[in-house]
Amino acid sequence: MTLLDGLILLALISVLVTMLGYRLPVIGWLTSALFAGQLLVLFLMSGLGYGGDTIHSSVALSIFGQPLSWRFDALSWFFALITIGAALASSLFAAGEWGRQYRQNGGNPGLLQFSLALNVLTMLILLASGDLLALFIGWELVSWASFLLMAMAGGAAFSWAMRYITYATGGAMAILAGMGMVYQMTGSLQYADLMAVAGQLSQAQVVILSLLFGSGFAIKMGVLPFHLWQAGAYAETPGPGTAFLGSISSRMGLYGILVVLVQLIGLGRLIEIDISFTWLSLRDLLMWVAAITIILPTFTALRQNDARRLLAWHGVGQGGYMLLGIFSATALGSSGGLMHVFNHATYQAALFLSVYAVVHRTGTADLNKLGGLVTRMPLSFLVMLVGIIGLAGIPPMNGFVSKWLVYRSLLIEGMPLLFVASVIGTLGTILSVYKLIHNMFLGQLRAEHSEIREAPWSMMLPMLVLSLIVFITGFMPGLALDWVAAAQAAVGLPVLQHSLGGVEMEQGGLDMTWLVAVLFAGFGIGALLFYSTGKTRHVNQLDNYAGGHFLTADVRYHYSDHFYAGLMHRIGHWYRESFQWLESVLISLTGFVAQGASGFYRIVQPALLMLVVVVLALWVVR
Amino acid sequence: MNMITLIVALPLLAAFLLPISDRALGSVSRFVGPIVLLMNIILIMTLWQKSEGAPFALALGGFRPPLGISFYVDQLALLFALLVSILALMLWPYKADTNPRVFGLMLLLTGAASGMALSGDLFNIYVFFELLSVASFGLVASLRTGAAFAATTRYLIISGFGTVMALTGVALIYTQTGTLNLAHLATLAPQQLDNATGLTAFALILLGIGVKAELFPVNTWVPEVYATASRRVSALMAGLVSKLAVLVIVRLMVLIFPQPEAMQLMLALGVAGVLIGELSAWRARDFVRMLSFSSIGQLGLVFVAFSIPGEAGILAGLAVALHHLLVKPALFLLAERWGGSLGRLEGAGRRSPLAAGLFVLFALSLVGVPPLPGFWAKLLTIVGLLGQAAPLYWFAAAVVLVATVAEVNYLFRFGLTLFKREEQSAQVHKPHARIDLGTVSVMGVVLLTAMFLIAPLGERMQTIADQTTDRGLYISTVLGPVGGAR
Repeated sequence: MTLLDGLILLALISVLVTMLGYRLPVIGWLTSALFAGQLLVLFLMSGLGYGGDTIHSSVALSIFGQPLSWRFDALSWFFALITIGAALASSLFAAGEWGRQYRQNGGNPGLLQFSLALNVLTMLILLASGDLLALFIGWELVSWASFLLMAMAGGAAFSWAMRYITYATGGAMAILAGMGMVYQMTGSLQYADLMAVAGQLSQAQVVILSLLFGSGFAIKMGVLPFHLWQAGAYAETPGPGTAFLGSISSRMGLYGILVVLVQLIGLGRLIEIDISFTWLSLRDLLMWVAAITIILPTFTALRQNDARRLLAWHGVGQGGYMLLGIFSATALGSSGGLMHVFNHATYQAALFLSVYAVVHRTGTADLNKLGGLVTRMPLSFLVMLVGIIGLAGIPPMNGFVSKWLVYRSLLIEGMPLLFVASVIGTLGTILSVYKLIHNMFLGQLRAEHSEIREAPWSMMLPMLVLSLIVFITGFMPGLALDWVAAAQAAVGLPVLQHSLGGVEMEQGGLDMTWLVAVLFAGFGIGALLFYSTGKTRHVNQLDNYAGGHFLTADVRYHYSDHFYAGLMHRIGHWYRESFQWLESVLISLTGFVAQGASGFYRIVQPALLMLVVVVLALWVVR
Repeated sequence: MNMITLIVALPLLAAFLLPISDRALGSVSRFVGPIVLLMNIILIMTLWQKSEGAPFALALGGFRPPLGISFYVDQLALLFALLVSILALMLWPYKADTNPRVFGLMLLLTGAASGMALSGDLFNIYVFFELLSVASFGLVASLRTGAAFAATTRYLIISGFGTVMALTGVALIYTQTGTLNLAHLATLAPQQLDNATGLTAFALILLGIGVKAELFPVNTWVPEVYATASRRVSALMAGLVSKLAVLVIVRLMVLIFPQPEAMQLMLALGVAGVLIGELSAWRARDFVRMLSFSSIGQLGLVFVAFSIPGEAGILAGLAVALHHLLVKPALFLLAERWGGSLGRLEGAGRRSPLAAGLFVLFALSLVGVPPLPGFWAKLLTIVGLLGQAAPLYWFAAAVVLVATVAEVNYLFRFGLTLFKREEQSAQVHKPHARIDLGTVSVMGVVLLTAMFLIAPLGERMQTIADQTTDRGLYISTVLGPVGGAR
């Protein structure tokens, strides 16, 4: 039995334990312990993250003449680390008071833990797949496990989950078609065989395969134009489930793209293919799709008034940065894309958890009904602050490092337009995360929230640990870049030369330790100046002025409704909801055709026609 | 080896004696059917053991083929004969208030179906097909409601015209070749039937027998009949009767009509069936209608899979057919208590979690979620379709894949309805009868077992497919090595 067998067996045991013991009050702690165990096994395999040899599973099957095998390489290990880490954080968050309250409100925390364990198991199976058939099996398992997690809340979650699974099935079918084509080209579904023939495939074959596999996997990431399902489906999932889904679930699509498009077909083939009548190559086209995926969902996020949806839309948009980095095919850019998977998972989980900590205390995630909570929930505020700095890609958090790598590579590679596009995306991110933290934590406290306390420690612990990781990997990005470099080597991308503090390059590298030191020195000087003057005075939170008028305590002065009114006046008319329109047109068209199809069964009486056919047939052969 | 005739003769004999014995023996006759079916199962198992998978032929009445009536017993025929008995036993009308005539009809259907599976000449196939039709008319109308009679009448008319078509096709073949023995036809077909007449004959037989196989466009009876017949009968029709009709068509195609035109005709009709069936099911707003249309779509898929040339097609078709044969009856049994519009079923699954769980299991397998067996069937079909050069096959693959999306949508829209939280005015849902739920549970266990044993099952199906596509083996088995020389 190899370590990989042990890991998957432990994940399977976790599923069984949660399935059988979902009524136990301690099931949350038990599941967390099991996830911690899985993380431990993963640490035993940590050689993979530093360039160790691939670990094979001892399970191998052959079905209908197709061999199936499973293995873990550096890329799988990197994704598995994020998966189990996110599951552990979410499970811990739900284990204590959150779970008790959820049960009181009619929810089933045991089912939530079971869904988490099931998602982790299926994701590990996907990440371990050693051939296309195993990949597809893992892929479908992951899809349906997520469906369970999304649908378990009932109510509105059902329709979102339905939307998700319809999209996901479409994607899976595209992948299945791609697999069928690969089988016809190579006679097998083994990675090695596809890699061997990838150089000889015709351009048309490469285009079709890339589009089938690419769109199939991209649906899970919510890449445009397949993005409509994601934000709603994630937001309707019960609390910690959202954090888990938001941080890692959609990245499984990225894993698929990395394996099939990058490792097996090779980005080199995609760069070769020019698209007629344009100056773009197929690879450039995909990069532009990624860039649009950054911009549109980010600005959609700006308009959201539900904290969960706002974050979930950012999840869609940040996927674009990862794709942009990876498709750049350089050491710098692809390391940025890969590292962003890790970074995004850490800050996104922290952000979702802090939102849910607020929801736990206040009962709402509506950005128009919150505000001023910083005095009541300072730690949650801190976690959100760290998280949004990471999300916006500002130093000293880890999100800055990965975005810097992507930007830098776009500039070095001479793609200024893409660079501008991604900067526009970042602008939208900064605007919307400010809206998030402002409307929740800043401004005036609402009267009904005056008695609120900080979230309990069982919820704070995962949040604080996550924000600590966000900071440490921003301060010392080399910790994560080691794993990223191993993953790059595993999929055949050029490997990034890096140090603990960042990247050393002739054209100007990045050293985060210095940067952070300077930043904090600046803060220190500022604080010194601020406090040394001695002219500070404590004021009441409700002690406000507006337009020179003193506002009494009963008058609230806190903008949250119609936030960014001026900006929306300028850009509001650009929100056309064209994709919504397109989707509804497709549904109506299908309904129209379906009506015709079922009309056939009401109208047509084939008996006479059958007689006509017989007579005609006899006349023909006479 | 003569025991093989018993498989057909026993149920038929019991069917004819039952109405008489019922008067004399009363409730004892209730047990006759299941006992006969059990005997059949044991008989077929022992035969399979003895023959060790090698095919053999049997001439009845002492006339050597091609003159007499002949049976051809290979693994495919035995498999289907076995499935007929097993499924009939599982879907037997156990309810206490069942009219004894229904038992007779069930046995008649079983006997005729086994005969169809085993027959080695066209005329016999036609006779058993008619017998099967008659039994199914009776069963469909057995609820004796007005709607059932109306639906049966419609079914009867379409079936009647179907018979005319099939008979015309058989007649055409006979005028061309002068024989109806399948093996003999197989030797003559390359010279005498590889032409427009042969193709016409095939088209007529395909459409004629296709009435039972829910082939587009002669399947307009399906929604009404399944909606009005009892669920067990619907299950039997959708699961079993349709597959036997498919079996006959496949035999003819392998042995007599291997022309690409014949295959593409079947493919085109199958594709239309998938498209129209799945789209109509998507639009259906009650469970039984949805299942009926879904069954049309699935049968379309069966035809699509079987129209792939060569062994790959037989293997894929067999996988899809066997899978559907297990899943669709189970879903129909679950529909027993889940009639009416979807809106009224909100929360029904919370009342009977086992039934709802089984529904989810079967639905997952039906849409082909790995590693459930339905996935392997779909995979074989898609890979097979994409392996063909003709563009129609690629189009078929695309249609099958798109139809799957629709299938997921309507099946799980229903599935989620079952789990909706109940409204204030909670509908009263009767729980499933124990016998129904028990049967479906057994089917679920079979499905899961098949999932774990998919590798050996795949090998077994491969050998069946090998044997089925081997025309030379068929000819030499029936006509002897000398007669088989072409």
